Amino acid sequence: MKLSAYPAFTHSAFQSRLAYRNQVWANAFGDLVNVFARIAIWSAAYAGMTVVDGVTLPEMVTYAVLVGTVLRWDHARLLHEVGDAVRTGDVAVYLLKPLHYPFAILASHVGHYAFSFVTVTIPVVLIVGFTAGLMPPASLFHAALFPVFWLLSWLVMFCIATLCGLLAFWLLTAFSLEWFLMGIMLLFSGAVVPMWFLPPALATLFSYLPFAWVHYYPAAVYLGKLDPTSTWLHLGMGLGWLALLAAAVAWLWSRARHRIIVQGG
Amino acid sequence: MAPIISAVGVGKTFRQLKRQAGFGGALRGLVSRDYTEIRAVEGIAFSIEPGEAVGYLGPNGAGKSTMIKMMTGILTPSAGTLSVLGREPHSNRILNARDIGVVFGQRSQLWWDLPVRDSFELNRHIYDIPDSRFADNLAYLTQMLDMGSYIGRPVRQLSLGQRMRAEIAMALLHDPKILFLDEPTIGLDVVAKDAVRRFLAEINRERGTTIILTTHDLVDIEQICPRLIMVDDGKLLFDGELRHLRATLGSRRRLTLEFATDPGPLTLKTATLAADEGAAKHYLLENEAVSLIDVLNEVGPAHGLKDIKLEEPDIEEVIRTFYLNKPKLAGSAP
Ligand SMILES: Nc1ncnc2c1ncn2[C@@H]1O[C@H](COP(=O)(O)OP(=O)(O)O)[C@@H](O)[C@H]1O
Ligand SMILES: [Mg+2]
Repeated sequence: MKLSAYPAFTHSAFQSRLAYRNQVWANAFGDLVNVFARIAIWSAAYAGMTVVDGVTLPEMVTYAVLVGTVLRWDHARLLHEVGDAVRTGDVAVYLLKPLHYPFAILASHVGHYAFSFVTVTIPVVLIVGFTAGLMPPASLFHAALFPVFWLLSWLVMFCIATLCGLLAFWLLTAFSLEWFLMGIMLLFSGAVVPMWFLPPALATLFSYLPFAWVHYYPAAVYLGKLDPTSTWLHLGMGLGWLALLAAAVAWLWSRARHRIIVQGG
Repeated sequence: MAPIISAVGVGKTFRQLKRQAGFGGALRGLVSRDYTEIRAVEGIAFSIEPGEAVGYLGPNGAGKSTMIKMMTGILTPSAGTLSVLGREPHSNRILNARDIGVVFGQRSQLWWDLPVRDSFELNRHIYDIPDSRFADNLAYLTQMLDMGSYIGRPVRQLSLGQRMRAEIAMALLHDPKILFLDEPTIGLDVVAKDAVRRFLAEINRERGTTIILTTHDLVDIEQICPRLIMVDDGKLLFDGELRHLRATLGSRRRLTLEFATDPGPLTLKTATLAADEGAAKHYLLENEAVSLIDVLNEVGPAHGLKDIKLEEPDIEEVIRTFYLNKPKLAGSAP
Protein backbone atom coordinates (compact mmCIF):
# COMPACT_ATOMS: atom_id res chain seq x y z
CA MET A 1 0.00 0.00 0.00
CA LYS A 2 1.02 3.57 -0.42
CA LEU A 3 2.78 5.19 2.50
CA SER A 4 0.22 7.98 2.33
CA ALA A 5 -2.39 5.57 3.68
CA TYR A 6 -0.94 5.72 7.19
CA PRO A 7 -1.89 9.35 7.85
CA ALA A 8 -5.48 8.18 7.39
CA PHE A 9 -5.00 6.28 10.67
CA THR A 10 -3.80 9.49 12.33
CA HIS A 11 -6.92 11.23 11.11
CA SER A 12 -9.24 8.42 12.25
CA ALA A 13 -7.70 8.31 15.73
CA PHE A 14 -8.04 12.07 16.08
CA GLN A 15 -11.67 11.89 14.96
CA SER A 16 -12.45 9.06 17.35
CA ARG A 17 -11.19 11.16 20.25
CA LEU A 18 -13.71 13.85 19.38
CA ALA A 19 -16.37 11.33 20.38
CA TYR A 20 -15.13 11.71 23.94
CA ARG A 21 -14.89 15.49 24.01
CA ASN A 22 -16.16 15.69 27.56
CA GLN A 23 -13.14 13.74 28.80
CA VAL A 24 -11.03 16.68 27.72
CA TRP A 25 -11.94 18.63 30.84
CA ALA A 26 -10.88 15.80 33.13
CA ASN A 27 -7.60 15.37 31.25
CA ALA A 28 -6.81 19.08 31.26
CA PHE A 29 -7.66 19.32 34.94
CA GLY A 30 -5.42 16.31 35.66
CA ASP A 31 -2.46 17.87 33.89
CA LEU A 32 -3.07 21.21 35.55
CA VAL A 33 -3.07 19.65 39.02
CA ASN A 34 0.01 17.64 38.09
CA VAL A 35 1.94 20.73 37.01
CA PHE A 36 0.86 22.91 39.94
CA ALA A 37 1.71 20.15 42.41
CA ARG A 38 5.23 19.96 41.01
CA ILE A 39 5.53 23.73 41.16
CA ALA A 40 4.35 23.75 44.77
CA ILE A 41 6.84 21.04 45.74
CA TRP A 42 9.76 22.84 44.13
CA SER A 43 8.77 26.20 45.63
CA ALA A 44 8.72 24.57 49.05
CA ALA A 45 12.04 22.80 48.42
CA TYR A 46 13.72 26.04 47.34
CA ALA A 47 12.44 27.66 50.56
CA GLY A 48 13.39 31.18 49.58
CA MET A 49 16.73 30.29 47.95
CA THR A 50 17.18 31.60 44.41
CA VAL A 51 19.66 29.09 43.04
CA VAL A 52 20.21 25.45 44.00
CA ASP A 53 22.99 23.53 42.25
CA GLY A 54 23.01 26.19 39.54
CA VAL A 55 19.30 25.88 38.84
CA THR A 56 16.84 28.69 39.57
CA LEU A 57 13.27 28.29 40.78
CA PRO A 58 11.76 29.73 37.55
CA GLU A 59 13.79 27.12 35.67
CA MET A 60 12.29 24.42 37.87
CA VAL A 61 8.79 25.78 37.22
CA THR A 62 9.44 25.56 33.48
CA TYR A 63 10.87 22.05 33.96
CA ALA A 64 7.64 21.08 35.75
CA VAL A 65 5.54 22.33 32.84
CA LEU A 66 7.69 20.56 30.25
CA VAL A 67 7.68 17.24 32.08
CA GLY A 68 4.16 17.55 33.48
CA THR A 69 2.33 18.26 30.23
CA VAL A 70 4.44 18.95 27.13
CA LEU A 71 6.39 15.68 27.42
CA ARG A 72 3.68 13.70 29.19
CA TRP A 73 2.81 10.94 26.73
CA ASP A 74 -0.17 8.63 27.09
CA HIS A 75 1.89 5.44 27.19
CA ALA A 76 -0.86 3.55 29.05
CA ARG A 77 -3.30 3.89 26.13
CA LEU A 78 -0.71 2.59 23.68
CA LEU A 79 0.36 -0.26 25.94
CA HIS A 80 -3.24 -1.37 26.44
CA GLU A 81 -4.12 -1.12 22.80
CA VAL A 82 -1.20 -3.24 21.66
CA GLY A 83 -1.56 -5.61 24.61
CA ASP A 84 -5.26 -6.21 24.01
CA ALA A 85 -4.80 -6.64 20.27
CA VAL A 86 -2.18 -9.36 20.59
CA ARG A 87 -3.81 -11.11 23.53
CA THR A 88 -7.34 -11.29 22.12
CA GLY A 89 -6.21 -11.93 18.57
CA ASP A 90 -7.85 -8.74 17.29
CA VAL A 91 -4.53 -8.04 15.68
CA ALA A 92 -5.79 -10.44 12.98
CA VAL A 93 -7.93 -7.60 11.68
CA TYR A 94 -4.73 -5.71 10.82
CA LEU A 95 -3.12 -8.78 9.30
CA LEU A 96 -6.02 -9.01 6.84
CA LYS A 97 -5.16 -5.65 5.40
CA PRO A 98 -2.31 -4.66 3.13
CA LEU A 99 -0.41 -2.85 5.87
CA HIS A 100 2.17 -3.25 8.65
CA TYR A 101 0.71 -3.27 12.12
CA PRO A 102 3.44 -1.33 13.99
CA PHE A 103 3.25 1.53 11.48
CA ALA A 104 -0.53 1.62 11.63
CA ILE A 105 -0.40 1.83 15.41
CA LEU A 106 2.32 4.50 15.26
CA ALA A 107 0.19 6.57 12.90
CA SER A 108 -2.94 6.29 14.99
CA HIS A 109 -1.09 7.30 18.15
CA VAL A 110 0.22 10.39 16.43
CA GLY A 111 -3.48 11.19 16.08
CA HIS A 112 -4.13 10.56 19.77
CA TYR A 113 -1.20 12.74 20.72
CA ALA A 114 -2.20 15.54 18.36
CA PHE A 115 -5.61 15.53 19.99
CA SER A 116 -4.35 15.87 23.53
CA PHE A 117 -1.74 18.41 22.44
CA VAL A 118 -4.45 20.70 21.10
CA THR A 119 -7.03 20.12 23.81
CA VAL A 120 -4.87 19.69 26.90
CA THR A 121 -1.23 20.67 26.49
CA ILE A 122 -1.70 24.06 24.84
CA PRO A 123 -4.38 25.27 27.29
CA VAL A 124 -2.37 24.05 30.30
CA VAL A 125 0.82 25.73 29.08
CA LEU A 126 -1.08 28.98 28.56
CA ILE A 127 -2.70 28.85 32.00
CA VAL A 128 0.56 28.10 33.80
CA GLY A 129 2.41 30.63 31.67
CA PHE A 130 0.05 33.42 32.71
CA THR A 131 -0.08 32.43 36.39
CA ALA A 132 3.28 30.97 37.43
CA GLY A 133 5.32 32.27 34.47
CA LEU A 134 7.41 30.33 31.97
CA MET A 135 10.96 30.82 30.76
CA PRO A 136 11.70 31.00 27.03
CA PRO A 137 14.23 28.53 25.57
CA ALA A 138 17.78 29.31 26.69
CA SER A 139 19.00 30.35 23.23
CA LEU A 140 18.08 30.22 19.57
CA PHE A 141 20.17 27.07 19.25
CA HIS A 142 18.32 25.40 22.11
CA ALA A 143 14.98 26.60 20.76
CA ALA A 144 15.79 25.00 17.41
CA LEU A 145 16.92 21.69 18.89
CA PHE A 146 14.11 21.30 21.43
CA PRO A 147 11.51 20.17 18.84
CA VAL A 148 13.96 17.56 17.60
CA PHE A 149 14.42 16.18 21.13
CA TRP A 150 10.68 16.42 21.64
CA LEU A 151 10.03 14.25 18.58
CA LEU A 152 12.76 11.86 19.65
CA SER A 153 11.16 11.65 23.09
CA TRP A 154 7.84 10.70 21.54
CA LEU A 155 9.38 8.01 19.37
CA VAL A 156 11.42 6.52 22.23
CA MET A 157 8.29 6.43 24.37
CA PHE A 158 6.38 4.84 21.49
CA CYS A 159 8.92 2.04 21.22
CA ILE A 160 9.11 1.40 24.97
CA ALA A 161 5.31 1.28 25.41
CA THR A 162 4.85 -0.87 22.31
CA LEU A 163 7.49 -3.29 23.59
CA CYS A 164 5.63 -3.59 26.88
CA GLY A 165 2.34 -4.05 25.00
CA LEU A 166 3.82 -6.83 22.89
CA LEU A 167 5.18 -8.51 26.00
CA ALA A 168 1.56 -8.91 27.12
CA PHE A 169 1.39 -11.63 24.52
CA TRP A 170 3.55 -13.79 26.76
CA LEU A 171 2.83 -12.28 30.14
CA LEU A 172 -0.96 -12.35 29.71
CA THR A 173 -1.77 -9.18 31.55
CA ALA A 174 -0.98 -5.67 30.46
CA PHE A 175 -1.96 -4.39 33.87
CA SER A 176 1.17 -5.33 35.80
CA LEU A 177 3.27 -4.15 32.88
CA GLU A 178 1.58 -0.80 33.02
CA TRP A 179 2.57 -0.28 36.64
CA PHE A 180 6.04 -1.54 35.92
CA LEU A 181 6.43 0.92 33.06
CA MET A 182 4.96 3.78 35.06
CA GLY A 183 7.37 3.12 37.92
CA ILE A 184 10.37 2.98 35.65
CA MET A 185 9.33 6.12 33.83
CA LEU A 186 8.88 8.05 37.09
CA LEU A 187 12.20 6.94 38.49
CA PHE A 188 14.58 6.74 35.54
CA SER A 189 13.35 9.43 33.18
CA GLY A 190 13.84 12.47 35.37
CA ALA A 191 10.09 12.97 35.44
CA VAL A 192 10.03 13.59 39.18
CA VAL A 193 13.55 14.64 40.02
CA PRO A 194 15.87 16.01 37.33
CA MET A 195 19.29 14.38 37.04
CA TRP A 196 21.05 17.46 38.42
CA PHE A 197 19.49 16.93 41.88
CA LEU A 198 20.23 13.19 42.01
CA PRO A 199 23.26 11.63 43.73
CA PRO A 200 26.02 11.64 41.09
CA ALA A 201 26.26 7.84 40.84
CA LEU A 202 22.53 7.48 40.15
CA ALA A 203 22.51 10.48 37.81
CA THR A 204 25.31 8.96 35.76
CA LEU A 205 23.55 5.62 35.51
CA PHE A 206 20.15 7.09 34.63
CA SER A 207 21.59 9.53 32.14
CA TYR A 208 22.72 6.66 29.92
CA LEU A 209 19.41 4.79 29.96
CA PRO A 210 16.87 5.48 27.17
CA PHE A 211 14.24 6.75 29.63
CA ALA A 212 16.27 9.92 30.12
CA TRP A 213 15.55 10.84 26.50
CA VAL A 214 11.84 10.77 27.20
CA HIS A 215 11.83 13.51 29.85
CA TYR A 216 15.16 14.73 31.11
CA TYR A 217 17.15 15.56 27.95
CA PRO A 218 14.42 17.43 26.06
CA ALA A 219 13.76 19.59 29.14
CA ALA A 220 17.47 20.09 29.77
CA VAL A 221 17.99 21.19 26.17
CA TYR A 222 15.13 23.69 26.43
CA LEU A 223 16.63 25.18 29.58
CA GLY A 224 20.12 25.28 28.07
CA LYS A 225 21.61 22.87 30.60
CA LEU A 226 23.49 21.14 27.77
CA ASP A 227 26.03 23.12 25.74
CA PRO A 228 25.83 22.78 21.93
CA THR A 229 28.49 20.06 21.72
CA SER A 230 26.88 17.96 24.38
CA THR A 231 23.44 18.62 22.82
CA TRP A 232 24.60 17.13 19.51
CA LEU A 233 26.28 14.28 21.33
CA HIS A 234 23.13 13.42 23.23
CA LEU A 235 21.05 13.72 20.09
CA GLY A 236 23.29 11.10 18.52
CA MET A 237 23.06 8.86 21.58
CA GLY A 238 19.28 9.25 21.64
CA LEU A 239 19.03 8.30 17.99
CA GLY A 240 21.18 5.27 18.78
CA TRP A 241 18.78 4.22 21.52
CA LEU A 242 15.84 4.82 19.17
CA ALA A 243 17.37 2.58 16.52
CA LEU A 244 17.98 -0.12 19.12
CA LEU A 245 14.45 0.11 20.52
CA ALA A 246 12.87 0.13 17.07
CA ALA A 247 14.84 -3.00 16.23
CA ALA A 248 13.58 -4.56 19.46
CA VAL A 249 9.98 -3.70 18.51
CA ALA A 250 10.47 -5.23 15.07
CA TRP A 251 11.98 -8.36 16.60
CA LEU A 252 9.33 -8.81 19.28
CA TRP A 253 6.55 -8.12 16.78
CA SER A 254 7.91 -10.74 14.42
CA ARG A 255 8.12 -13.19 17.35
CA ALA A 256 4.53 -12.42 18.33
CA ARG A 257 3.38 -12.74 14.72
CA HIS A 258 5.30 -15.94 14.30
CA ARG A 259 3.66 -17.30 17.38
CA ILE A 260 0.21 -16.36 16.18
CA ILE A 261 1.06 -18.02 12.89
CA VAL A 262 2.69 -21.19 14.12
CA GLN A 263 1.17 -21.81 17.49
CA GLY A 264 -1.89 -19.66 17.27
CA GLY A 265 -1.76 -17.65 20.50
CA MET B 1 -10.07 -22.08 -16.09
CA ALA B 2 -7.49 -22.32 -13.35
CA PRO B 3 -8.98 -22.68 -9.88
CA ILE B 4 -9.04 -19.49 -7.81
CA ILE B 5 -8.33 -21.45 -4.63
CA SER B 6 -6.80 -24.86 -4.37
CA ALA B 7 -6.00 -26.87 -1.28
CA VAL B 8 -4.05 -30.11 -1.34
CA GLY B 9 -3.66 -32.11 1.83
CA VAL B 10 -3.85 -28.97 3.96
CA GLY B 11 -3.40 -29.48 7.67
CA LYS B 12 -2.93 -27.23 10.67
CA THR B 13 -1.62 -28.40 13.98
CA PHE B 14 -1.58 -25.85 16.76
CA ARG B 15 1.12 -26.23 19.31
CA GLN B 16 -0.26 -24.69 22.39
CA LEU B 17 2.14 -23.74 25.10
CA LYS B 18 1.45 -25.27 28.48
CA ARG B 19 1.11 -22.07 30.46
CA GLN B 20 2.87 -21.95 33.74
CA ALA B 21 1.55 -20.07 36.71
CA GLY B 22 2.86 -16.74 37.87
CA PHE B 23 5.14 -14.09 36.46
CA GLY B 24 8.21 -16.33 36.47
CA GLY B 25 6.27 -19.07 34.70
CA ALA B 26 5.19 -16.61 32.06
CA LEU B 27 8.79 -15.49 31.56
CA ARG B 28 9.84 -19.11 31.19
CA GLY B 29 7.07 -19.41 28.61
CA LEU B 30 9.08 -17.11 26.36
CA VAL B 31 11.60 -19.90 25.83
CA SER B 32 9.65 -22.99 26.86
CA ARG B 33 9.26 -25.95 24.52
CA ASP B 34 6.49 -27.67 26.43
CA TYR B 35 3.50 -27.98 24.07
CA THR B 36 0.20 -29.73 23.62
CA GLU B 37 -0.76 -30.42 20.02
CA ILE B 38 -4.21 -29.69 18.60
CA ARG B 39 -5.03 -30.94 15.12
CA ALA B 40 -7.47 -28.28 13.96
CA VAL B 41 -7.39 -29.12 10.24
CA GLU B 42 -6.32 -32.39 8.63
CA GLY B 43 -5.83 -33.45 5.02
CA ILE B 44 -8.25 -30.95 3.49
CA ALA B 45 -8.35 -30.90 -0.31
CA PHE B 46 -10.64 -28.93 -2.59
CA SER B 47 -10.53 -26.69 -5.57
CA ILE B 48 -12.72 -23.65 -6.13
CA GLU B 49 -13.39 -21.99 -9.47
CA PRO B 50 -13.76 -18.22 -9.96
CA GLY B 51 -17.32 -17.10 -9.38
CA GLU B 52 -18.34 -20.00 -7.18
CA ALA B 53 -20.16 -19.59 -3.89
CA VAL B 54 -19.09 -22.25 -1.45
CA GLY B 55 -20.51 -22.94 1.96
CA TYR B 56 -18.09 -24.36 4.51
CA LEU B 57 -20.22 -26.14 7.06
CA GLY B 58 -19.36 -27.80 10.31
CA PRO B 59 -20.09 -27.81 14.03
CA ASN B 60 -18.12 -25.70 16.50
CA GLY B 61 -14.46 -26.57 16.62
CA ALA B 62 -14.55 -28.27 13.21
CA GLY B 63 -11.69 -26.14 11.94
CA LYS B 64 -13.66 -23.70 9.80
CA SER B 65 -12.12 -20.50 11.14
CA THR B 66 -8.66 -22.01 11.01
CA MET B 67 -9.15 -22.82 7.33
CA ILE B 68 -10.34 -19.25 6.63
CA LYS B 69 -7.32 -17.86 8.46
CA MET B 70 -5.01 -19.97 6.31
CA MET B 71 -6.69 -18.88 3.09
CA THR B 72 -6.49 -15.23 4.13
CA GLY B 73 -2.79 -15.48 4.99
CA ILE B 74 -3.02 -14.98 8.75
CA LEU B 75 -1.97 -18.54 9.50
CA THR B 76 0.37 -20.79 7.61
CA PRO B 77 -0.59 -24.44 7.05
CA SER B 78 1.56 -26.97 8.86
CA ALA B 79 1.00 -29.50 6.08
CA GLY B 80 -0.01 -29.51 2.44
CA THR B 81 -0.16 -26.71 -0.09
CA LEU B 82 -2.62 -23.92 -0.39
CA SER B 83 -2.90 -21.52 -3.27
CA VAL B 84 -5.16 -18.47 -3.46
CA LEU B 85 -5.23 -16.56 -6.76
CA GLY B 86 -2.13 -18.46 -7.76
CA ARG B 87 -0.14 -17.41 -4.70
CA GLU B 88 0.77 -18.93 -1.37
CA PRO B 89 -1.34 -16.65 0.82
CA HIS B 90 0.84 -16.37 3.89
CA SER B 91 4.18 -15.48 2.29
CA ASN B 92 2.30 -13.06 0.02
CA ARG B 93 0.13 -11.66 2.78
CA ILE B 94 0.07 -8.06 1.58
CA LEU B 95 -0.50 -8.89 -2.09
CA ASN B 96 -3.18 -11.38 -1.12
CA ALA B 97 -4.85 -8.85 1.18
CA ARG B 98 -5.41 -6.46 -1.72
CA ASP B 99 -7.40 -9.03 -3.66
CA ILE B 100 -9.58 -10.45 -0.93
CA GLY B 101 -12.26 -9.16 1.40
CA VAL B 102 -12.81 -10.74 4.79
CA VAL B 103 -15.63 -10.55 7.30
CA PHE B 104 -15.36 -12.13 10.73
CA GLY B 105 -18.75 -12.50 12.37
CA GLN B 106 -17.16 -12.21 15.79
CA ARG B 107 -14.55 -9.50 15.22
CA SER B 108 -15.32 -6.00 14.05
CA GLN B 109 -13.20 -4.17 11.53
CA LEU B 110 -15.14 -0.95 11.94
CA TRP B 111 -13.94 1.85 14.21
CA TRP B 112 -16.17 1.68 17.25
CA ASP B 113 -16.35 5.41 17.94
CA LEU B 114 -16.50 6.66 14.37
CA PRO B 115 -19.42 6.94 11.97
CA VAL B 116 -19.59 3.97 9.60
CA ARG B 117 -18.68 6.28 6.73
CA ASP B 118 -15.33 7.18 8.34
CA SER B 119 -14.27 3.54 8.55
CA PHE B 120 -15.11 3.18 4.87
CA GLU B 121 -13.06 6.28 4.17
CA LEU B 122 -10.10 4.71 5.98
CA ASN B 123 -10.37 1.66 3.74
CA ARG B 124 -10.34 3.92 0.71
CA HIS B 125 -6.84 4.98 1.77
CA ILE B 126 -5.64 1.55 2.86
CA TYR B 127 -6.58 -0.06 -0.45
CA ASP B 128 -5.88 3.05 -2.50
CA ILE B 129 -9.31 2.87 -4.17
CA PRO B 130 -9.78 5.37 -7.03
CA ASP B 131 -12.28 8.09 -6.10
CA SER B 132 -14.87 7.33 -8.76
CA ARG B 133 -14.74 3.60 -8.05
CA PHE B 134 -15.14 4.29 -4.35
CA ALA B 135 -18.12 6.57 -4.92
CA ASP B 136 -19.83 4.02 -7.18
CA ASN B 137 -19.25 1.14 -4.79
CA LEU B 138 -20.36 3.15 -1.80
CA ALA B 139 -23.59 4.19 -3.53
CA TYR B 140 -24.27 0.63 -4.68
CA LEU B 141 -23.55 -0.96 -1.30
CA THR B 142 -25.44 1.69 0.65
CA GLN B 143 -28.50 1.06 -1.47
CA MET B 144 -28.24 -2.73 -1.62
CA LEU B 145 -27.60 -3.12 2.10
CA ASP B 146 -30.01 -0.37 3.05
CA MET B 147 -27.41 1.52 5.06
CA GLY B 148 -28.62 5.03 4.23
CA SER B 149 -30.24 5.58 7.59
CA TYR B 150 -27.19 4.76 9.69
CA ILE B 151 -24.07 5.34 7.61
CA GLY B 152 -23.48 8.59 9.49
CA ARG B 153 -23.92 7.07 12.94
CA PRO B 154 -21.11 5.82 15.19
CA VAL B 155 -20.71 2.05 15.08
CA ARG B 156 -21.32 1.69 18.80
CA GLN B 157 -24.91 2.87 18.28
CA LEU B 158 -25.77 0.25 15.65
CA SER B 159 -27.73 -2.96 16.05
CA LEU B 160 -25.87 -6.17 15.33
CA GLY B 161 -27.71 -6.56 12.04
CA GLN B 162 -26.78 -3.06 10.91
CA ARG B 163 -23.20 -3.55 12.00
CA MET B 164 -22.88 -6.81 10.11
CA ARG B 165 -24.18 -5.20 6.93
CA ALA B 166 -21.62 -2.43 7.37
CA GLU B 167 -18.85 -5.02 7.91
CA ILE B 168 -19.81 -6.73 4.67
CA ALA B 169 -19.91 -3.44 2.77
CA MET B 170 -16.50 -2.52 4.17
CA ALA B 171 -15.03 -5.80 2.88
CA LEU B 172 -16.36 -5.15 -0.62
CA LEU B 173 -15.38 -1.51 -1.20
CA HIS B 174 -12.10 -2.42 -2.88
CA ASP B 175 -13.66 -4.89 -5.33
CA PRO B 176 -12.08 -8.02 -3.91
CA LYS B 177 -11.98 -11.06 -6.17
CA ILE B 178 -12.81 -13.36 -3.27
CA LEU B 179 -14.97 -12.63 -0.27
CA PHE B 180 -14.37 -14.75 2.83
CA LEU B 181 -17.00 -14.68 5.54
CA ASP B 182 -16.55 -16.46 8.85
CA GLU B 183 -20.02 -17.02 10.36
CA PRO B 184 -21.53 -13.81 9.00
CA THR B 185 -25.04 -14.58 10.23
CA ILE B 186 -24.18 -15.61 13.77
CA GLY B 187 -26.36 -13.92 16.35
CA LEU B 188 -28.54 -12.11 13.78
CA ASP B 189 -32.32 -12.17 13.93
CA VAL B 190 -34.34 -13.73 11.12
CA VAL B 191 -34.88 -10.50 9.20
CA ALA B 192 -31.22 -9.48 9.33
CA LYS B 193 -30.10 -12.96 8.35
CA ASP B 194 -32.38 -12.86 5.37
CA ALA B 195 -31.08 -9.45 4.26
CA VAL B 196 -27.48 -10.64 4.48
CA ARG B 197 -28.21 -13.86 2.60
CA ARG B 198 -30.06 -12.16 -0.22
CA PHE B 199 -27.31 -9.62 -0.63
CA LEU B 200 -24.52 -12.21 -0.72
CA ALA B 201 -26.36 -14.27 -3.30
CA GLU B 202 -26.83 -11.12 -5.36
CA ILE B 203 -23.21 -9.98 -5.19
CA ASN B 204 -22.08 -13.45 -6.22
CA ARG B 205 -24.50 -13.50 -9.15
CA GLU B 206 -24.15 -9.91 -10.34
CA ARG B 207 -20.50 -9.19 -9.75
CA GLY B 208 -19.13 -12.69 -9.98
CA THR B 209 -17.35 -12.31 -6.64
CA THR B 210 -16.21 -15.71 -5.41
CA ILE B 211 -17.68 -16.35 -1.97
CA ILE B 212 -16.43 -18.70 0.72
CA LEU B 213 -18.63 -18.67 3.75
CA THR B 214 -18.38 -20.67 6.94
CA THR B 215 -21.46 -21.36 8.95
CA HIS B 216 -23.16 -23.90 11.06
CA ASP B 217 -26.54 -22.77 9.76
CA LEU B 218 -27.66 -24.81 6.79
CA VAL B 219 -30.09 -22.17 5.56
CA ASP B 220 -27.11 -19.92 4.77
CA ILE B 221 -25.94 -22.57 2.37
CA GLU B 222 -29.34 -23.29 0.87
CA GLN B 223 -29.84 -19.64 0.01
CA ILE B 224 -26.34 -18.54 -0.98
CA CYS B 225 -24.15 -21.44 -1.91
CA PRO B 226 -24.86 -24.05 -4.55
CA ARG B 227 -21.82 -25.92 -3.33
CA LEU B 228 -21.27 -27.31 0.12
CA ILE B 229 -18.08 -28.42 1.80
CA MET B 230 -18.74 -30.18 5.05
CA VAL B 231 -16.10 -30.71 7.71
CA ASP B 232 -15.91 -32.16 11.14
CA ASP B 233 -12.99 -32.64 13.46
CA GLY B 234 -10.77 -30.94 10.91
CA LYS B 235 -11.53 -33.47 8.20
CA LEU B 236 -13.50 -33.23 4.98
CA LEU B 237 -16.78 -35.14 5.03
CA PHE B 238 -18.54 -34.00 1.90
CA ASP B 239 -17.87 -31.77 -1.08
CA GLY B 240 -20.59 -31.26 -3.66
CA GLU B 241 -24.02 -29.87 -4.30
CA LEU B 242 -26.38 -29.65 -1.40
CA ARG B 243 -29.02 -31.76 -3.17
CA HIS B 244 -26.53 -34.60 -3.48
CA LEU B 245 -25.81 -34.56 0.20
CA ARG B 246 -28.79 -36.70 1.08
CA ALA B 247 -27.87 -39.40 -1.37
CA THR B 248 -24.28 -39.39 -0.22
CA LEU B 249 -25.23 -39.58 3.40
CA GLY B 250 -27.75 -42.32 2.58
CA SER B 251 -30.58 -40.85 4.56
CA ARG B 252 -34.12 -42.02 3.95
CA ARG B 253 -37.32 -40.43 2.78
CA ARG B 254 -40.49 -41.03 4.76
CA LEU B 255 -43.54 -42.56 3.10
CA THR B 256 -47.01 -42.53 4.66
CA LEU B 257 -49.92 -44.52 3.24
CA GLU B 258 -53.46 -43.90 4.45
CA PHE B 259 -56.21 -46.35 3.79
CA ALA B 260 -60.00 -46.10 4.12
CA THR B 261 -59.92 -49.19 6.31
CA ASP B 262 -57.05 -51.16 7.80
CA PRO B 263 -55.83 -53.45 5.02
CA GLY B 264 -53.92 -55.63 7.49
CA PRO B 265 -50.13 -56.13 7.37
CA LEU B 266 -48.65 -54.87 4.13
CA THR B 267 -45.02 -55.37 3.17
CA LEU B 268 -43.47 -53.65 0.18
CA LYS B 269 -40.34 -54.34 -1.83
CA THR B 270 -39.79 -50.64 -2.48
CA ALA B 271 -40.06 -49.48 1.15
CA THR B 272 -39.48 -50.73 4.67
CA LEU B 273 -42.26 -50.63 7.20
CA ALA B 274 -41.39 -48.39 10.14
CA ALA B 275 -44.68 -48.06 12.03
CA ASP B 276 -48.11 -49.58 11.55
CA GLU B 277 -51.14 -47.69 12.90
CA GLY B 278 -53.64 -49.85 11.07
CA ALA B 279 -55.25 -47.52 8.55
CA ALA B 280 -52.07 -45.43 8.43
CA LYS B 281 -48.74 -47.06 7.73
CA HIS B 282 -45.30 -45.42 7.80
CA TYR B 283 -42.42 -46.60 5.65
CA LEU B 284 -38.86 -45.55 5.01
CA LEU B 285 -37.57 -45.31 1.45
CA GLU B 286 -33.94 -46.41 1.33
CA ASN B 287 -33.48 -46.26 -2.39
CA GLU B 288 -33.10 -42.83 -3.99
CA ALA B 289 -34.30 -44.18 -7.33
CA VAL B 290 -37.72 -45.27 -6.06
CA SER B 291 -40.45 -42.81 -7.02
CA LEU B 292 -44.05 -42.38 -5.93
CA ILE B 293 -45.16 -44.11 -9.12
CA ASP B 294 -43.16 -47.19 -8.17
CA VAL B 295 -44.84 -47.24 -4.79
CA LEU B 296 -48.32 -46.76 -6.26
CA ASN B 297 -47.72 -49.52 -8.76
CA GLU B 298 -46.66 -51.89 -6.06
CA VAL B 299 -49.52 -51.13 -3.66
CA GLY B 300 -52.05 -51.34 -6.48
CA PRO B 301 -55.78 -50.52 -6.35
CA ALA B 302 -56.81 -53.47 -4.19
CA HIS B 303 -56.33 -51.98 -0.68
CA GLY B 304 -58.47 -48.87 -0.91
CA LEU B 305 -55.61 -46.37 -0.70
CA LYS B 306 -56.94 -42.96 0.33
CA ASP B 307 -53.88 -40.76 0.58
CA ILE B 308 -50.14 -40.96 0.06
CA LYS B 309 -47.44 -38.66 1.38
CA LEU B 310 -43.72 -38.68 0.63
CA GLU B 311 -41.54 -36.49 2.85
CA GLU B 312 -38.01 -35.40 2.12
CA PRO B 313 -35.99 -35.64 5.29
CA ASP B 314 -35.25 -32.31 6.90
CA ILE B 315 -31.68 -31.56 5.93
CA GLU B 316 -30.82 -30.51 9.46
CA GLU B 317 -31.98 -33.90 10.56
CA VAL B 318 -29.95 -35.61 7.87
CA ILE B 319 -26.84 -33.93 9.12
CA ARG B 320 -27.67 -34.61 12.72
CA THR B 321 -28.12 -38.30 12.00
CA PHE B 322 -24.96 -38.19 10.00
CA TYR B 323 -22.88 -36.77 12.83
CA LEU B 324 -24.47 -39.23 15.25
CA ASN B 325 -23.48 -42.15 13.05
CA LYS B 326 -20.07 -40.72 12.36
CA PRO B 327 -17.97 -43.36 14.13
CA LYS B 328 -19.53 -45.96 11.86
CA LEU B 329 -18.98 -43.91 8.73
CA ALA B 330 -15.50 -42.65 9.47
CA GLY B 331 -13.91 -45.33 7.34
CA SER B 332 -16.02 -44.60 4.29
CA ALA B 333 -15.90 -40.81 4.41
CA PRO B 334 -14.28 -39.26 1.34
N1 LIG C 1 -4.97 -20.31 18.08
C1 LIG C 1 -5.27 -21.55 18.48
N2 LIG C 1 -4.49 -22.23 19.33
C2 LIG C 1 -4.80 -23.46 19.70
N3 LIG C 1 -5.87 -24.13 19.30
C3 LIG C 1 -6.70 -23.51 18.44
C4 LIG C 1 -6.45 -22.19 17.99
N4 LIG C 1 -7.44 -21.82 17.15
C5 LIG C 1 -8.27 -22.87 17.08
N5 LIG C 1 -7.83 -23.90 17.85
C6 LIG C 1 -8.48 -25.21 17.99
O1 LIG C 1 -8.62 -25.77 16.71
C7 LIG C 1 -9.89 -26.36 16.55
C8 LIG C 1 -10.64 -25.71 15.40
O2 LIG C 1 -10.95 -24.38 15.73
P1 LIG C 1 -11.72 -23.40 14.75
O3 LIG C 1 -11.03 -23.40 13.44
O4 LIG C 1 -11.85 -22.09 15.42
O5 LIG C 1 -13.14 -24.11 14.63
P2 LIG C 1 -14.53 -23.53 14.08
O6 LIG C 1 -14.28 -22.19 13.48
O7 LIG C 1 -14.96 -24.56 13.07
O8 LIG C 1 -15.44 -23.49 15.24
C9 LIG C 1 -10.58 -26.21 17.89
O9 LIG C 1 -10.39 -27.41 18.61
C10 LIG C 1 -9.88 -25.08 18.54
O10 LIG C 1 -9.90 -25.21 19.94
MG1 LIG D 1 -15.13 -20.37 13.99
